[in-house]
Order: sequence, then C-alpha cells, then structure tokens
Amino acid sequence: MSKKEKTQENSIKKKSTHKDWYKLDLSAIVYPTLQRRDFSSVYRLSVLLKEEIKPDVLQKAVDMTMPRFPTYKAAIRKGLFWRYLEPNNRPGPFVQADVKNPCQPMYFKANNRYLIRFYYYGSRISLEAHHSLGDGTGGMCVLMTVAAVYLRLLGHEEIPNEGFVLDITQEPDSGELEDAYMKYANAKVCPPRPGEKTYRVRGTKEPFYTLNIIDGIMSVSQVMEVAKKYNATITEYLNAVLLYALLEKQQKDWHIRLKPVKIAMPVNLRRFFPSNTLRNFITMIYPGIDPRLGDYTFEEIVVQVHNYMRYYINEKFLRGDITTNAATQRHPLIRVVPLFIKDFVVRQFYTKVQDRNSSAGLTNMGAMKVPEAMKPYIERFDICMGQPFSSRTNCAIISFGDILTINFASSIIEADVERYFFRKLVKDGIHVKIESNRTLDVME
Amino acid sequence: MSYCVNCGVELDKTAKECALCNTPVMNPREVIAQNAKTPFPEEKGQVEVVKSKDMGIFVTIVCLATAITCGLLNAFVFTGALWSLAVIGVCVILWVTLIPFVIYTKQPVYVSILFDGIAVSGYLYMLAYMIESDKWFWGLGLPIVIYITVILELLTLCIRKLPKSFLTIGLYVITAIGLLCGGLEFMIDRYLAGEVHIRWAAVVMTICTVIDIAIITMLSLRRVRNAVRRRLHF
Repeated sequence: MSKKEKTQENSIKKKSTHKDWYKLDLSAIVYPTLQRRDFSSVYRLSVLLKEEIKPDVLQKAVDMTMPRFPTYKAAIRKGLFWRYLEPNNRPGPFVQADVKNPCQPMYFKANNRYLIRFYYYGSRISLEAHHSLGDGTGGMCVLMTVAAVYLRLLGHEEIPNEGFVLDITQEPDSGELEDAYMKYANAKVCPPRPGEKTYRVRGTKEPFYTLNIIDGIMSVSQVMEVAKKYNATITEYLNAVLLYALLEKQQKDWHIRLKPVKIAMPVNLRRFFPSNTLRNFITMIYPGIDPRLGDYTFEEIVVQVHNYMRYYINEKFLRGDITTNAATQRHPLIRVVPLFIKDFVVRQFYTKVQDRNSSAGLTNMGAMKVPEAMKPYIERFDICMGQPFSSRTNCAIISFGDILTINFASSIIEADVERYFFRKLVKDGIHVKIESNRTLDVME
Repeated sequence: MSYCVNCGVELDKTAKECALCNTPVMNPREVIAQNAKTPFPEEKGQVEVVKSKDMGIFVTIVCLATAITCGLLNAFVFTGALWSLAVIGVCVILWVTLIPFVIYTKQPVYVSILFDGIAVSGYLYMLAYMIESDKWFWGLGLPIVIYITVILELLTLCIRKLPKSFLTIGLYVITAIGLLCGGLEFMIDRYLAGEVHIRWAAVVMTICTVIDIAIITMLSLRRVRNAVRRRLHF
C-alpha cells in the first residue's frame, strides 16, 4: 500500500470515529446547574408492547443500539468554564426492573456515569434520560430504535429503519450531534424574556424521592371532536383545560390577591428549522390567563390560548427567542467566568425568575409516527416530564393510533389540579381512564 | 370496570381508590382484582449513593507523600532539628479533618469533632516535645483544646437537637462565643498570673448576653420575629 493510500485510509478512519467530547447545547447548559440532591432534570418515555418484555433480549438490544447514539452513551464532566460530554465506555447502561417512583435523581457519578436508564415492567419498556443529553424527540429516537432492535431480535425482521427508528449499522450523522441552536440563533435583535411572577401551586411536599404519577388514557378522536367544537386543536384545547384547572385551584385556595396563571410549554423547533439533531432543540412559550382582568369563561380561555399560539409559534418569534438565549452564552465576558460562578448565577436566576414564570408545565409530543410494520406490536406510548423543580405539576401528552395519554407528574400530595383537569374532560363528554402509582398510605 | 362516583373517570381494575379524589372504590358487581398486575410497580427504587473515592485517595496520597518526604529529608539531608514533626503533624490534622468529607461520609459529626480535638492535642504535644518543654502544654494548650472541643460538641448538639431557625442558631452561636471567651481568659489568667481577673472577656460576655436577650425577645414575640425575618431574608 502506497503512502498516499495509507494517509487516505487514516483520514477516513478519523472521520468515522466518534468525537472525543461534545459541548453541551444551549439548553443542556442549564440542567446540570439545577441539579440538587433531591432533583435532577430527568424525563421518561415509555412504549407499551403487546407481549411481556424479555429482559435478556432487551439488554442485548440496548447493547447493540447505544453505540449508534454517542451523545447518549456519554458522561458529563466539569471543565473550568463549562461542562461537557465525553464518550462513556464503561459497562452499561443495564436494563433493570421498573420502580414505583420513576425519574429519581440521576447523580453524575452514579450508574457508571451513564445519564440514561432503561426499565422494564410487564410489557412496558421505559427510558429515562437526563435532559442535558437531549430532548424528548432525541430520547424517543433512542427508545424507538431500542424497541425496533428488540422486536427484530425476537424474530420480527421486517421492521424497517424509518421515522424515529435509526439504522444501528450506520455511523451517526454529524447533524444528529450538532447544537442546532447556534445555527439558527441569528436574529438581529434579542427580544426581552418574559419576567412576570405567576401563580404557584401550594401543596404538601411528598417525602424524599416520591413522584406521584396520574395517567389519563382516552380516545384521540373523542378529544379531537370536542376540541373542534371549540375551534381549537388538541394541544390548544388541553392547554386551555389545564389553565382552567389552575384558575379553579387558585380561586379555591386561600389568597390575598390573584396572580396570572401561565403554562410553560416547550415547542419542538425542528418543525420550524430544518435539523435532525438528537440533542435539545426546544424553546419555551408561555400561554396564560390573567384573572385580575376579570372572570374568564372556558370558551374565552380557549380563544386566548388559540390566539397566543397563532401569534407566537412561528419561525420569526422563535428565532428571536433562541437568539436571546444564545446571546448570554456567546457573550465573551460571560464565557470567561469560572463555572462555579456561572452555576451560582444561573441557579439564582432560574429559582427567582424562570421558575416563577409559569404555574405548570405542559408538553405535547404529538402523534407518534411508527413504521407500519412495527405498529401491530405496540399498544401505546407514555411520556413523563419528570419531577418539577418546585412544588407544582407537570403535564405531558402523547398519542399513538387512537390512544391519547395525558401524564401528570408531581411531588406534592394534593392532586387538585389533576382532579379539576380530568373532571373538565369528563364534563366535556370525554371518556377518561385513570392509572396511577398513588396509594392511600401515601396520600394520607 | 369501576368508575369514580365523584370524578366520573374509569379506574384501573386494581385501584382501591380514585387517584384524583381519594374516594374508595366500592363496586359490589366487580371485586377489586387483588392479584392482577398494577399499572405501576409496587417496589420503590433507591438512588445509588456516590462515594467520592477519588478525592479520598487523592487527599490521603498528598498527606502521606508530604509527611514521608519531609521525614526522609529530616532524617538524611537537613538533620539539624526535628522540624519534620511540625509538617507531619499538620498533615495528620488535615487528613483527620477531611475524613468526614471525602473518606468516610457516614462518620457522626460528634466523633469527627472529637477526632479533630485529639489530632490538635497530639500536634501540640509534638511541638512541646520538640522544644523540650511541656509545662505550657499541660497548663494551657491541652485545657484550651478540651474546652473548645466541648463547646463545639455542645453547639453541634444544640443545632441538631433543639429547634432550628435563623434566630435560634444565632442564639446558640452567640452564647458559644461568650462562653468561649470567658473560658479562654480564665485559663490564660490562671496559667500566667496564677489568679483570675476577668476583663476583656467580661466585655465580650456582656455584649453576647445583651444580644442573647434581644434574640430571646424576638423569639418569644411572633410579631417582632416576623418583622426581623422579613427584613433579613436572603
């Protein structure tokens, strides 16, 4: 082999090998900063298959799949100025039997430094990932690929690689690993961030590591029919119902004066900016109602949410939003500040401003697009936003076929918001089935 | 299938009560499926505890290396006096102090304070041995270390066992400072002059007493306590 050929071969090898480290993306920078002994930004995605899970096969599927996702097979490390991800070649992640209290804190040095967990329970496969690795779309790609590999190992070879299912024999595309924020944060002005204090749900804190989950399962067509009656989409309608529940809760709580009620809702930026990144690429919008202006009927709430979404969810506004967020990270003076000072400032800002911007969180993953050949093996999907930073409730929605799952996760004993929410759906004529991990001894 | 009579939602066949309103399920036509699989597991998970092993090893190696290097230098190169004992003593104190933080995090705080006191006493005795005069050690050094250790143990006990708030912790700390100053002057006077004349400590103790009275007043009057909390919150 000539020298030239050898050099060429070496350069191809270099291109194909994974990077030594990855910068955290714009959103991911914040999540490790908020890490506490009793709080981690962990979310959970689950897929319910139609047959009992075989743990050994699932472990094999995980082992085969993880190298395809280098930013998920990673450990988080501290630099002098920023944290970063580095490839993690320790054994794992290992599949484990599911637990009653999901989304437990994820310490960076535990679990062989993996920031991802796989669980199985009955016919359910669950993935829990730290938000610093990626958002729900990225996590769903990992879960769906694992599920597809698992089904193939069970003999269902016909499942193709499409949609969320990626080809595990392929090298990861550079676009999958990029920080897409920086590519599109190029508006010529930085619009100010919203900074209004909102209503905060008061409740009795649960003991350490307890996460209360309430799943509402219903029919997509029924919800769509009701939403249409109000001239709204499913997301707008459910957003309005949550705002309605929060307003009810505030009204019935003891209060001196009313406060605005707002919902923090992540928007998937991939819908507006072409990107196939598996890392975070979301931004927040805050639809809300100000009860100080007067009593809103439910129809008025729906109109308000509908108009807000039409006005704010467009490429221009979202570009401005991510430019504002990126401006802080790009500032040369901020970049040279040591990490521990950044941590302190960010934590203060998040606790005093960002966390008070909203009364609850709501995310809608939308309808899951699954390869046609995989559909017969899947019952439904489930999503959980994880433990809220302060005492409130987080709502996550996902649908597959005609099954819509609405998941509430909170670490307070009271389930008032959830009760008002589901009662409103029942009142609107939607059949709701409730599943929960709450038990009487916990609630008393 | 059972429905909640209050909320109108369908409940899982294993549910004993409605998760939304806590209303018990009572359906004579359908008994709760006791043995059926619940939608969520029954077992609670535990978070893996992380031990800062690396830091413990690092601290131990640094302390050990410094102590051994100084010992060897003292034995073979700079052989004039036993100066290495001072460095070795500091290494021992540092290591003992860091045990609860990086080596054995479960060590009770009272034991840690006791070990710290023993390490400091040992160091002082070492200094006394080096200068070949131990009168000051028995008369002043050791009593002061024992006294400070006892005060720290009592302060820790108060903070951990008695009611804990911003004001009460202030009360315990100020009282400890007053006692510490009084005790120090008592021991110093007794050692140097043979008789006790409390002077500067009396000033400190008076100030501490006044502050203590003010804090106790604040604690007993809810209105004053709230006003102070409001103005001093951080």
